Amino acid sequence: MSGPIVSVRDLRKSYGAIEALAGVSFDVARGEIFALLGPNGAGKTTTVEILEGLRTADAGSAVVAGIDVRRDPSGVKERIGVQLQSSAFPENFLAREIVQLFGVFYGRRVDAMELLRSVGLEEKAGQRSEKLSGGQRQRLSIAVAMVNEPQVLFLDEPTTGLDPQARRNLWDLVRGIRARGTTVLLTTHYMDEAEALCDRVAIVDRGRVVALDAPRALVDGLLARGFTKTVVQQQADLEDVFLDLTGHALRDD
Amino acid sequence: MGRVLRYTLFLSRAYLRDRTALFFGFFFPLLFMGLFGVLDLGAFGTVSLGIVDEAGNADSAAFRAALGRIETLRLTEGSRTDELTSLGKGERDLVVVIPGDFRIAPAAAGSSVPVLTLYESEARPEQANVGSAIITQAVDQMSFAVSRTQPIVALRREAVQGRRLSYVDFLTPGIVGMTIMQLGVSSVMFGFVVDRQRGVIRRIMATPIPRRSYMAAHVLHRLVVAILQVLILIGVAVLAFDVRIVGSMAAVLLLALLGSVLFLCVGFAVTAFVATENAAPAVMQLVTLPQLFLSGVFFSRDVVPAFLRPISDYLPLTFLNDALRQVAIAGASLGDVRGDLVGIVVWTAITFAIAVRFFRLE
Repeated sequence: MSGPIVSVRDLRKSYGAIEALAGVSFDVARGEIFALLGPNGAGKTTTVEILEGLRTADAGSAVVAGIDVRRDPSGVKERIGVQLQSSAFPENFLAREIVQLFGVFYGRRVDAMELLRSVGLEEKAGQRSEKLSGGQRQRLSIAVAMVNEPQVLFLDEPTTGLDPQARRNLWDLVRGIRARGTTVLLTTHYMDEAEALCDRVAIVDRGRVVALDAPRALVDGLLARGFTKTVVQQQADLEDVFLDLTGHALRDD
Repeated sequence: MGRVLRYTLFLSRAYLRDRTALFFGFFFPLLFMGLFGVLDLGAFGTVSLGIVDEAGNADSAAFRAALGRIETLRLTEGSRTDELTSLGKGERDLVVVIPGDFRIAPAAAGSSVPVLTLYESEARPEQANVGSAIITQAVDQMSFAVSRTQPIVALRREAVQGRRLSYVDFLTPGIVGMTIMQLGVSSVMFGFVVDRQRGVIRRIMATPIPRRSYMAAHVLHRLVVAILQVLILIGVAVLAFDVRIVGSMAAVLLLALLGSVLFLCVGFAVTAFVATENAAPAVMQLVTLPQLFLSGVFFSRDVVPAFLRPISDYLPLTFLNDALRQVAIAGASLGDVRGDLVGIVVWTAITFAIAVRFFRLE
């Protein structure tokens, strides 16, 4: 199996007079961790939701896991896992029931405990999902996104609002998922996240991809164009201090 | 189909954990029934009779004593002005005035007989009627005793109905109808508005489950809850309040099911126009409150003023309550209530069409 697993060509979408996407194109290779990077309102979420089959583009094409999203959105949904930016789970369900329930939506019987263990939530299996902390809820939603053993995992701003420990824990989780063969496409507006986690990033602004490469290559390119800034060689930064004092261990309960 | 049933099962299990929903769904209607059952608002009670004794002689005292022996009457005595004022205020059902020339003796031929004047309250006509019948009877007995004659015709009364129709008997079908309405409208409105606003539905729509399966599970779950609710309500009514369901229980349950479908449709039709959680309670009241009072839940629709009649006659809950009551307390068959069934079906069709046209999951 070769060729890109996600292929986006000249995607356009307008909401009334506002042009959210003005021709977005990119490819994601199998096994990559790929990020759409950009300020709020750049069109990241619109792009991702079109790929997930939740919105339809006005023009352009998108192929995910070999399937044309416009022609067979539910076929795409069968093959991908998603974590939406602002979504919630139904209330009064236990964490393990949420996982089982989403299994039902895919017509599968799933081992809920195994999935919860894979995100470090096995101890919370019997808790109501609305009682979980922010970081735990993000991990639960990743467990839920994995119930159908997806080929591509879409994460829309997965670490927004999390503390540094929870962010790092989530990065490890994403690396683990990629290591088991799942391609990951995420959006973020944190540069350090893109740099630490992603193989390649597409920088999106005003509905267009303005740059696309490996983070290191983008930086090198900028330097090659003669960019300089006053460099203060720091052996550590404030986040290092914070993590040194508070440790790397998760503590979201 | 398996997917729909399994989803329904999950929804029902989660529902059992929802204390608020359980309270309003199950406990609240029972509370209502208990409260109104204890108050027994529909009970006939006693007739309050005011006596104005303008004779003040031994004969008038004997007449008053005779009335005092009648259990149904609650007597008070006072001046004409006081008693008539009380009557005006609704504190008396009847006032009888014993004239100054009152005596218990055969009248001389050609001379006039003393005239008892009876003032009746229009506020409680039933009590006034019963009271005046009692007084008429007392006067007749007195007359026969004095004239030493036997009544020409004897009247023997026999109770036809084995037991008196109590207020709870009347109330139970009303509470069942009310509960079906409340649950149907509120479960759709609060459930879907909240899930829509919080992005729950959007997340589920990112899985391959078809919209119709999603909807089917939610409707099925709510129908199951509604039927359970009706069974519990009727169970408590029968066991705790000695209510008797005269008609067929199967007919009652079928009506409950049709009513639930109707009010789920009403719920979806209305929810189509509710965008936020904040607007939901107001719209909920707007839809259910008029029906609570105009559709004969707690009281007979006879008390609905004439100008509201045209509305009251065609409210969805009116059809459901009327059919439930006819079957439950008058033993009517489904054929007897076909007019109500038509009303239910027409309302279901109208609200279903609105829901299909305007209701959106996202």
